[in-house]
Amino acid sequence: MTTPTNKKVAPKRNTSTTANPFSAWWNQQASAIKFSMERLWFNPASTWITLAAIAIALSLPTSLHLLLKNMQTLTADKREVPTITLFLKQSVSEQQAKDRAELLSELPEIDNVRVVTREEALADFRKITGFAQTLETLDANPLPHVLILTPRLSLLGGEDMDVEDLSKKLKAYSEVDDLQIDVEWVQRLRGILRIAERIVLVVSILLGMTVLLVVGNTIRLDIENRKEEIRVTQLIGATNAYIRRPFIYNGIWLGLFGGVLSLVIVHVALLFLVEPVTQLAKLYGSTFTLSGIDVLMTLQILLASSVLGVIGSWLAVGRYLWQSDDAIK
Amino acid sequence: MIEFKQVSKKYPTGQLALYNINLTLEAGEMVFITGHSGAGKSTLLKLVAMLERPTKGEVLIGGRSLSKLGRSQIPNYRRRIGFIFQDPHLLYDRTVFDNIALPLRIAGMGQSETRRRVQAALDKVGLTGRENTFPLMLSAGEKQRVGIARAMVNKPTIILADEPTGNLDPELAQDIMFTFAQFNELGATVMIASHDHALVERMKKRTIVLQKVD
Repeated sequence: MTTPTNKKVAPKRNTSTTANPFSAWWNQQASAIKFSMERLWFNPASTWITLAAIAIALSLPTSLHLLLKNMQTLTADKREVPTITLFLKQSVSEQQAKDRAELLSELPEIDNVRVVTREEALADFRKITGFAQTLETLDANPLPHVLILTPRLSLLGGEDMDVEDLSKKLKAYSEVDDLQIDVEWVQRLRGILRIAERIVLVVSILLGMTVLLVVGNTIRLDIENRKEEIRVTQLIGATNAYIRRPFIYNGIWLGLFGGVLSLVIVHVALLFLVEPVTQLAKLYGSTFTLSGIDVLMTLQILLASSVLGVIGSWLAVGRYLWQSDDAIK
Repeated sequence: MIEFKQVSKKYPTGQLALYNINLTLEAGEMVFITGHSGAGKSTLLKLVAMLERPTKGEVLIGGRSLSKLGRSQIPNYRRRIGFIFQDPHLLYDRTVFDNIALPLRIAGMGQSETRRRVQAALDKVGLTGRENTFPLMLSAGEKQRVGIARAMVNKPTIILADEPTGNLDPELAQDIMFTFAQFNELGATVMIASHDHALVERMKKRTIVLQKVD
């Protein structure tokens, strides 16, 4: 015989209403999350306007950053990159040219070396319309062997860009007749990009502060509307943490959803750009494609926007609680 | 349980609300505070709830002086008190259920226990079945009873009521006083400020009369 268990145990007379601290904490979080979510839909129009403001403020630095990143990959693209062209002396044989190329590719400053023999150069030259006939009139090939060097990019990016030193060194080889350096534009572009990076940083900070202010102001208005509620909850024993909690979650949602919306905006803008960019790249004979937002960057943006939301609402609630604390005193 | 020691309260406006009050309430006692308006009835209750602090003297609860309570300890202390205002201060964007559940939610109580306690409180004030109503749809008496249910729901050890029957018809007022008496029988210390002399006399409880100080 099993003893029948009485499921409905008479409630304990217990004046303390708190359960164990962890479940109390969890219950408070859960109800704050639920409440703050409902609050978002309490006034959908104003929520959407706030989200749009946040999203636009966030999408500007994001797209600037993308632009910059794309320009950096453009200069890092091997095919696009700068070269040093070595014109060898007429007396140098093809074998000597290839040997020199082998040796050069061992140098730390050099990424790779391509040999263009005079025959290849002539063939290339012939392809260019209008020159074929001119070339017919010559009895010998006037072109030298050429070595095309790609310097290591780290060398170009470094503070002490020893391109000068490198060119001196290259010129000293007995086979070399002349050389042409085609790296200056990259160095200049990189310089410009470094400035652009700073600009993006400044813009990001300013617009981050805008997000902070938008969230802060939205929360401040919400507090203003719910003053009575805050006062009543304070009278029945709400801690500052309890009062703060739903507002903080509200700030998180505004930041997070604003971030999501900004990602949507940037993605749409990218889609809008993809076609003309590929066309332009094709004209330059490049396979360059726009790089978009990867997973890591997505997470970074969402994290940053949520953190901004938290800070904004924390400041707004903190200011209110600080004032009301003084009022009670 | 509640002890006033030479308590005076002067508001920043210069108005002297209480002067040299000495008063002791035993645990489980129920007292009425009467007196003319402006005699300091509300102030007396507010001092117990720590909504105001005395300018002189001290208020002791369970032998501990309230002046020794830090700012961070006030919320916890207030949870042991049920305060009923003349205007019940309900939240109009929430249902009766959510209004009454507020103190339990503040304490972090779980859903099922909250539901059970709110139902019990509704039952006690005679509002069973009205939990999904919004306060705007209630009569003055019903609102007042929601306020009482909210003050009772976490089983406070001290109940303070400031003119709880101020704008109710006599029959309802009587009912509500009996509700307080019931809570008192369950062990709560009850302090009620009221100017309704007839009603107070009928309840046959200890009555403290405050004189206006000039």
